[in-house]
Amino acid sequence: MTALLETPLLETRGVWQRFGGLVANSDVSISVGRGEIVGLIGPNGAGKSTLFNLIAGVLPPTQGSIIFDGEDVTRLPAAERCQRGVGRTFQVVKSFETMTVIDNVIVGALIRNTKMRIARQKAYEVLEFCGLAARAEKLAADLVPSEKRRLEVARALATEPKLLLLDEVLTGLTPVEAQTGVDLVRKVRATGVTVLMVEHVMEIVMPLVDRAIVLNLGKVLVEGKPADVVRNPEVISAYLGDRHAVGA
Amino acid sequence: MDTQFAQRRRRDLIVAGCFAVIAALVPLFVKDVYVQNIMVLTLMYAALSQSWNILSGYCGQISLGHALYFGLGAYTTALLFTKFGVLPWFGMLAGGAISAVIAMALGYPCFRLRGHYFVIATIVIAEIALVLIQNWDWAGAALGIDIPVRGDSWLKFQFARSKLPYFYFALALACVAWLVTWWLEDSKWGYWWRAVKDNPDAAESLGVVVFNSKMGAAAVSAFLVAVGGSFYAQFVSYIDPESVMGFQFSLLMALPAVLGGIGTLWGPVLGAVILIPLTELTRSFIGGSGRGVDLIVYGTLIVVISLALPRGLVSVFSWRKEAAR
Repeated sequence: MTALLETPLLETRGVWQRFGGLVANSDVSISVGRGEIVGLIGPNGAGKSTLFNLIAGVLPPTQGSIIFDGEDVTRLPAAERCQRGVGRTFQVVKSFETMTVIDNVIVGALIRNTKMRIARQKAYEVLEFCGLAARAEKLAADLVPSEKRRLEVARALATEPKLLLLDEVLTGLTPVEAQTGVDLVRKVRATGVTVLMVEHVMEIVMPLVDRAIVLNLGKVLVEGKPADVVRNPEVISAYLGDRHAVGA
Repeated sequence: MDTQFAQRRRRDLIVAGCFAVIAALVPLFVKDVYVQNIMVLTLMYAALSQSWNILSGYCGQISLGHALYFGLGAYTTALLFTKFGVLPWFGMLAGGAISAVIAMALGYPCFRLRGHYFVIATIVIAEIALVLIQNWDWAGAALGIDIPVRGDSWLKFQFARSKLPYFYFALALACVAWLVTWWLEDSKWGYWWRAVKDNPDAAESLGVVVFNSKMGAAAVSAFLVAVGGSFYAQFVSYIDPESVMGFQFSLLMALPAVLGGIGTLWGPVLGAVILIPLTELTRSFIGGSGRGVDLIVYGTLIVVISLALPRGLVSVFSWRKEAAR
């Protein structure tokens, strides 16, 4: 109940993003409460990644505003948003390939700790938390794909974010790896970090999230509890086409 | 848990110390002026390449225009001394500071360029500067500047009879450049630079202000290279635009680092120790015939090393280490 009284951690207000003639996001207003795990889902081309990048600060929206932790961050660049507490991963992993795993994480830790010794210690703790401690001295380039995904999460966590943005971290993993990922996200939330995750595959995220927001054709189609969202005829139609929605 | 890392860094420091002491003792046994001259140049290029490596190796912004900063250092020192009687020691600092400022002023537009476009910009800018100096009458235009030498003096940093003072200064400069790199490697900047090189987008998402990181690297790199240029002006006591700002200097700064191992602590030193004596020796023993045999030998060696060890000569050592594990 208290969560409802507090201001949300993240809000987008009437956000539009146009790329030339293409409207990627039109009038998107969503909010993410403190301590929530929210799934941002939708079929290919729905505008999930665009919205994600707007929140992370990769580019400013054409119109509308983004409020984070009570402050308007619409025009702030990505590095500045990280400073304020927005951590992110990339859909196509972007490890620092020539650096070791621990050094990758140290880069993230340095934003909160200027002393190298402390940053290194912090990075080790995060690696342990993410189950990568045994790989600490390996080159990032030598990790297997699922480990690289976890490294992205570890790197972002080392910046001590209030909001963690996960871009398809569970997609393309084996069921066992995906389960490990799901457990990690739960563990992250347990430490008080709010999570907004973009996922393409519904069955992986639905059991994990508290709330799901479905985007379609750049607009918010539905939002609500996962169980309600998956039964919603509009969602089924967006994913599978109109024929399947009739039966529901 | 960080003992392994700390040990490695301490070992690097001890090894460097040993090398420095050995190098300092060499002139006691080597009295030949020609060989001493080669040693001075080797140490100078080790220092220059180490400095170049900060921007291009660690931060990944490949510059082929560092001759600009070398020339700025040389010209600042020479002009301040001949026109205003300012001692070369102050000229060195002034040259370094001017170069650092200019590096940032040029970085402001250029660091928005990525990859090859950045490299091309650095070449073009250095060439423009060369042409400007060639046409600047007050600075001697194409004829250059003759620094009057009146006896040996540490105060004026000029020595007519012996090369040894230059040797020790060059050694000190190489040590300073190495130590700066060593120190930066385990600093916030060192980590940021490597992150920027590997993936600027990811670095930005982790709170690294990519643009500022590049500016910092450019300033440090340009400062040290300019000090090297100041030293060179004193060492040869006559400079002209082509002899301190020519494109070959940009290449000679890059090559040792690239051959030795770009973006590594030991690469530039290793590269310079092999490359510079080789350049000088091939030139004096098989060059001069007008057939360019020296350049053929030199070029062939570079090709062979780059093909056999694409990650540089230092990779020979890391390969051994991995095999021992």
